[in-house]
Amino acid sequence: MGNCLRSVTSDDISLLNGGDRSPGAESLGPPPPYQEEAPVYYPSPNQRRPANQLTEEEQVRIAQRIGLIQHLPTSIYDGSKKNRECVICMSEFVYGDPIRILPCMHIYHLDCIDDWLMRSFTCPSCMEPVDAALLTSYDSTNTT
Amino acid sequence: MSNIAAARIQREFKEVVKCDEAAKCAIKVEMVDSDCMELRGEIAGPPDTPYEGGNFILEIKIPETYPFNPPKVRFVTKIWHPNISSKTGAICLDILKDQWAAAMTLRTVLLSLQALLAAAEPDDPQDAVVAKQYKEDPQAFEDTARHWAQVYAQAPCNNPGCSAKVNQLVDMGFTETASREALSMHSWDVEKAVEYLMS
Repeated sequence: MGNCLRSVTSDDISLLNGGDRSPGAESLGPPPPYQEEAPVYYPSPNQRRPANQLTEEEQVRIAQRIGLIQHLPTSIYDGSKKNRECVICMSEFVYGDPIRILPCMHIYHLDCIDDWLMRSFTCPSCMEPVDAALLTSYDSTNTT
Repeated sequence: MSNIAAARIQREFKEVVKCDEAAKCAIKVEMVDSDCMELRGEIAGPPDTPYEGGNFILEIKIPETYPFNPPKVRFVTKIWHPNISSKTGAICLDILKDQWAAAMTLRTVLLSLQALLAAAEPDDPQDAVVAKQYKEDPQAFEDTARHWAQVYAQAPCNNPGCSAKVNQLVDMGFTETASREALSMHSWDVEKAVEYLMS
């Protein structure tokens, strides 16, 4: 559990610092000049705010959200699933595409669904809230 | 990011063109500009509503962050409905705000708007005057909605009473639009409408 928490925190920092998932990006000094825009976050689906204007409470919520998202299982598309198309980008899955599987068993491209889950923690297909289902499934995978 | 948006809109556009509802002329969509970020939608007024027979034009703007954020939709055709502003055409509908889901498409949005015309939600109004009339004087609401659909959305239903009152005010020197709005707001009470126009 301690390990788990630590990995969550380090991910938070890398994502808040630019969302490019490269660990230690902040230690490389100021961002390159072409990176003019601050990363933008969505405290709710219709609110759009640059990362440096978020309240502390929102930062904590975002960090928690990133942590939760990372508990959701990921996989590589191998054609074994029923869904053939990612409904977010509406393109067909290609063998080898990184995917994420939600508790309701709907699958999406990893990048597509992570971007969505940062705005709304529900499945875009069935509107099932991810929180509750996630906690139950997390519990059951822990005990088995 | 906008790559996803453009690719999706092209697929959704085709979906609308090919769907059953389009074949029945219930919904329609057209590209306004070449980069697909602005579209023109059209929905038919649902049967057994005051909007029946009318054609309602919508302005659809696709944000760069689509489909993570909903399209911005507004009625271009003037319409009398509790959840749509009679002045600006702005729409109050949950799926165009916080209930938007990335799996929704142009087709489902157009069908939801058509459903909204058939089932208003006066407790969640966009236009307070219309919502009040809808709840307190359903007959006046229906007459007004029907009259607006006939004047602005080419619905065939004719209500000579409303047109006569509008003409009466026009003869007094008020513009047609202002007269219609004043009469609609005051449930076709000519005296109150005149009072409102004079104030």
